Amino acid sequence: MATLELTLGEDVQAQPAQRGRRLGPLFWAAIGWVVFVFAAAVFADMLPLPSPTDMDMLARRAPFSAEHWLGTDGLGRDELSRLVYGARVSLVVGLCAPVIGFVLGGGLGLLAGYFRGQFETLVVGSMDVLLAFPPLIFALAVTAFLGQSIMNLTCILGVLSIPAFMRVARAATLTLARREFVIAAQALGATHARILIRELLPNVALPLLAYFLLVVAVIILVEGSLAFLGLGVPPPIPSWGSMIGEGRESLDVAPRLAFIPAIAMFLTVLSFNLVGDTLRAITDPRQGAL
Amino acid sequence: MVFFIARRLLYLVPVLIAVSLLTFSIASLLPGDLAYVILGDQATPEKVAALRADMGLDQPILWRYLGWLGHVLQGDFGRSFRTGQTVLQAVAERLPISIELMLLAQLGALAIGVPVAIICAARSGGPFDRFMTGTAFGMLSVPTFLSAILLIYLFAVELRVLPATGYVPLAEDPLANLRFFVLPSLTLVLAEWPGIMRVLRSDMIATLQEDYIALAKAKGLTPSRILFVHALKPSSLTLVTVTGINIGRLIGGAVIVETIFALPGIGRLLVSAISTRDLIILQGVVLLVAAGFVIMNFIVDTLYAVLDPRIRHGHA
Amino acid sequence: MKAPTRASKLAPIFLVTAFATGMLATPASAQKQGGSITVGLELDITGFDPLKVGVFDTAALTAASAMFETLTYLDDKGETKPKLALSWVPSDDFKTWTFKLRPGVKFHDGTPFNAEAYKANFDRQKDPANKCRCAFYISGVKDVQAPDELTLVYHLADPAVNFPALVSYSNQNAAVQSPTAWKTKGDDYNRNPVGTGPYMLKSWTAGDRMILERNPDYWDKDKIYLDRIILKPLPDAQSRFASLQSGEADLVWDDEWDADNVQKAQKDSKLTVHTYTGSGASVAAFNTKVAPLDDVRVRQALVMALDRKKWSQATTNGLAKPATNPYGDGSWVKCKDDGALPYDVEKAKALIKDYGKPVEFKMLFTATPRGRANGQVLQQFWKQVGANMEIEQVDQATIPPRAFMRQFQVTPWRIVDLADPDTQMYANFHTGSPVALANYSDPELDKLLEDARTTVEIDKRIEDYCAVSRLINKEAIWFWNFQNTYYAISSAKVKGLPKMYSGVIDVSRTWKE
Repeated sequence: MATLELTLGEDVQAQPAQRGRRLGPLFWAAIGWVVFVFAAAVFADMLPLPSPTDMDMLARRAPFSAEHWLGTDGLGRDELSRLVYGARVSLVVGLCAPVIGFVLGGGLGLLAGYFRGQFETLVVGSMDVLLAFPPLIFALAVTAFLGQSIMNLTCILGVLSIPAFMRVARAATLTLARREFVIAAQALGATHARILIRELLPNVALPLLAYFLLVVAVIILVEGSLAFLGLGVPPPIPSWGSMIGEGRESLDVAPRLAFIPAIAMFLTVLSFNLVGDTLRAITDPRQGAL
Repeated sequence: MVFFIARRLLYLVPVLIAVSLLTFSIASLLPGDLAYVILGDQATPEKVAALRADMGLDQPILWRYLGWLGHVLQGDFGRSFRTGQTVLQAVAERLPISIELMLLAQLGALAIGVPVAIICAARSGGPFDRFMTGTAFGMLSVPTFLSAILLIYLFAVELRVLPATGYVPLAEDPLANLRFFVLPSLTLVLAEWPGIMRVLRSDMIATLQEDYIALAKAKGLTPSRILFVHALKPSSLTLVTVTGINIGRLIGGAVIVETIFALPGIGRLLVSAISTRDLIILQGVVLLVAAGFVIMNFIVDTLYAVLDPRIRHGHA
Repeated sequence: MKAPTRASKLAPIFLVTAFATGMLATPASAQKQGGSITVGLELDITGFDPLKVGVFDTAALTAASAMFETLTYLDDKGETKPKLALSWVPSDDFKTWTFKLRPGVKFHDGTPFNAEAYKANFDRQKDPANKCRCAFYISGVKDVQAPDELTLVYHLADPAVNFPALVSYSNQNAAVQSPTAWKTKGDDYNRNPVGTGPYMLKSWTAGDRMILERNPDYWDKDKIYLDRIILKPLPDAQSRFASLQSGEADLVWDDEWDADNVQKAQKDSKLTVHTYTGSGASVAAFNTKVAPLDDVRVRQALVMALDRKKWSQATTNGLAKPATNPYGDGSWVKCKDDGALPYDVEKAKALIKDYGKPVEFKMLFTATPRGRANGQVLQQFWKQVGANMEIEQVDQATIPPRAFMRQFQVTPWRIVDLADPDTQMYANFHTGSPVALANYSDPELDKLLEDARTTVEIDKRIEDYCAVSRLINKEAIWFWNFQNTYYAISSAKVKGLPKMYSGVIDVSRTWKE
């Protein structure tokens, strides 16, 4: 995750033959973790946690205790509570931003792969223009212009993920558009819209959905990096990235402040990667799976 | 063949123009009226108006864009209002650092990724393969800033064997220069090698399943010859593509690494240009970086087409 | 050379309270010749041409103090001593100061230093055609004359008893630069500065380092020990401190927000922590023309909600010293009663309730870890009394323009450590000043400021300034957070660092054992 680049798989090549082992214990553990984090984030308000913003200024960096299960952070706020609420931010941004990419990028890719010609060149060209931008600079500039908020952050990251989805959708469409069932539908006189919606879309959507999960993982990392640099959601809303950034100041005195959110982020990203990778291997159209 | 390249070149032009237009618009829309920033505590409404007229800031945006573009095409990217350096001077000072970082990172990633990928592909499914694939997978889930901090903590603060920050120009002292680059490059290597490893591995595994490999085995060729000559070569095409794209990407500077390790590269130049509203530098450098990326992609695509005739003739 | 009797009869110009921990080497210890020192600065330096950069920031000041010189300097006790000027005489009304200059001094490029050269510097900064941002800071000087080669005359708009102390550190106005150099180099001069100081610029790579070499023709070369000074910008606090620990840097700039490292350094026998508490403070201004801050009850409530001790504990491990007035312990203005509002949460809540309407507003903060930390602490304090503050994070560069355009509700600001409070107090609070951020006009306040500016007796001035403080505190138009405490941490081998007046780290006369 060197430079917040959001085109993941140049390794959208054929994957080696799958074995049933893939849906093994690791896969289910990953699913379990994601569900757990999701549940914690959704039900955060109902959990018996102190407020994530209340500061106990004289008890900063306190060790684990009955009052603060995971201790307090640099300003005296409860670490566990901030961790749970931070999950909210990561998940909201992580799940919503790719939706933008999925819809816009996926749609454009589908159309480009089907209609080809000048339209395709235009779409691919626009994506190239977008990709040519250093993504961090783009994020910085837009944040400077529009201000920091979850909404703006989601939009920026969503827009940055469009090219990646476009590529996957286009690649899948290119493969599928020459298959027998599409040629058959065309021979039967089906309109473009019908072919796109009834034949292609369901088949393209599957690999896109698998890819979606991989993008979620990347977005969570990118949000973390932006938060680390101070560009994420505005304070005092906790975010794993900003917690790591804040924890960095106390690395030698209380490393747990940085490591706890880091581990949470790592496990979550890893889980999304695992699930997404597995699903993608199963749904890649070049496997002829469907 | 030439026709193909010419067509791709023609395609570059509108892309570059679009990039320049987008850059200019974003830079111009940044808040913090430039005139006020320059005048600072002396800003009175009259002075601001005078300065804006002086700098041509009150003209319509399209007019200013064309003016800027005209200068750019003559090689004049403008001057930073803060330091007085021209954009090209500023870039020339910092580019070598970003390039060195990028090269070291790519070389390191290749040095780890390629051998690991070959071994994994050769013994696909075995314990080593499973372990390395798992590790690579895990590494992809670790953010760069975290690896950077951990490396600094381990090597610079605790063990005290490597410097935490800083930089010495290569020309001045190559050994010291490399010493300063170890941790930053290592951070990037840790982030890049999994990608390379996985691409090469899956490509090689697919190649190894092809019929002609079975034929080669039947003919009695040694495994190493099969591996390196018959399997690696075709797979290396993808590798070249990925590496080329990575290089193009990293030209923009690995901002996080540059910031944490205090390397005066392009990435940091861009970040400081935004925070100080040095729009001339911002516009000029983003344009150069984006152009570099687009051109790099073009080179990679062309190379790919040259090496793989199927692409040239429109078959995917 | 002594300052004339009349000036020395007056109370000491500048009383400072220094909290030094083994800072100054006694003259008896041997000063080792040679070697080099690497200094880690917070920011990169953009340049030295006042016309281009406007103001020298802390980083630029460190370099400037080695390359450029001023007419005077302040010694350990805060007394003004000769540097490029050998002696000085004021007129009876203290509006005219005549300086006698040191002969035989040359700039690094060979140009002789004399009154003409000094006047050329001043005129260039003051010339309205040059539109120099630096002109603001010399707006109190009508003109400078050079009647003969070694005599310089300053004509001031208002009396200034302390004037020689005000030109004692190499800021953008007081540092003398070579007229030949800027005339011949034009735009390139900004990064190729030429002064009269003990060190000359050898090389400079943007964002990387600046190397200064010893000036072999320096007029006081016996007091200069190091051969080379290397200045490096290291913006990241952790990396900067790590460089110090690993030995790559010999001295680094630091501040109280990096309290963990400062305290760690205090316990480390291999490191020395240099500190100095100057006058002034980090402060914040309310825009009194904008609701809900146009109501004095709201402002007072917000100020009374602040528990500075806890704030200091939370963000600086207690190192930051709370401020109750704009002058601070480091100033010669000492007030028995500065009118500071007490920390009283109940009273604050009552005031807000009395106001009746919801209290919601935004405050500007820098987009840095410390900006965020401060923002969240203030947010918390104000939440407890029923006020909702939204943090607006902006880049450091955006704050001055926003402040001058009054596009803010509450903004952070700073009162810098200067030898005399007049410049800033007048600028910050007098009606009509472009920097009167609070948009607050009070004829009584104006009168006090004018009186303090034109009076000569120190006691009367102190009285005026304390009255000013009481007025400002009562109306709560600005509030003060923490006094200006400056820090530098160095290897214990670095000796001879003078007091960091105005926060300037001057390594030009240090040595390494």
